[in-house]
Amino acid sequence: MSPLHFSFYSAFTFSSLGLAFHRTHLISALLCLESMMLSMFIPLSIWPVENQTPSFALVPILMLAFSACEAGTGLAMLVASARTHGSDHLHNLNLLQC
Amino acid sequence: MTYFVIFLGICFMLGVLAVASNPSPYYGVVGLVVASVMGCGWLVSLGVSFVSLALFLVYLGGMLVVFVYSVSLAADPYPEAWGDWRVVGYGLGFVLVVWMGVVLGGLVDFWKVGVVTVDGGGVSFARLDFSGVAVFYSCGVGLFLVAGWGLLLALFVVLELVRGLSRGAIRAV
Repeated sequence: MSPLHFSFYSAFTFSSLGLAFHRTHLISALLCLESMMLSMFIPLSIWPVENQTPSFALVPILMLAFSACEAGTGLAMLVASARTHGSDHLHNLNLLQC
Repeated sequence: MTYFVIFLGICFMLGVLAVASNPSPYYGVVGLVVASVMGCGWLVSLGVSFVSLALFLVYLGGMLVVFVYSVSLAADPYPEAWGDWRVVGYGLGFVLVVWMGVVLGGLVDFWKVGVVTVDGGGVSFARLDFSGVAVFYSCGVGLFLVAGWGLLLALFVVLELVRGLSRGAIRAV
């Protein structure tokens, strides 16, 4: 694994670890999802350059469109949960508390 | 040039680490913007300029919206920057996890420094990503329509989610 591959692999690992552990705000978890998307976008757009495959270059654009859908839906759920729960702290959304 | 590209990759990694180490959302947005700008520079230096431009424009708009949301909805009385000990602890813990994985797995060959890249020659050449994205309008028109349909569906999903307290999908009990 070259250092460039190492940097996006470790960026994906960092953001998935940050999503997995405790977040204070819901929007912070959404930012972790966005950074996971960003660190998947970079290797998807490096791949056609490395392999000289031009028709693969539409895959990162397609993933960017779907991640825009994901970000919009996430922000809408942020607004909805802030309306119903009063704030966007994740401990308000915890199902394990009684 | 190789070291410059590696520097951009390291800055990309540090920007993602700044998002992941659980600071307040204002600073997390700043970390994500740093990561996306460094990623755009990285893609440009590898020769993928059009995809990089699309990423940059989408991220400018998206991060503007996310920053406004985080300012308005996640108001902390004492926002935590990266200097706080809890944030530093999260960051060092994540670095420790990745470093242990790399060392135990033996993954990285740091002596093989190299960048695989491409460059076009002359005016009559179309760059690789430009000609690749243009496939959307000829062979990949099905994917194009699927993406457009997905965006339209996301619009109605958002409208249904934020409709109101009495009629929306999520309502107060």
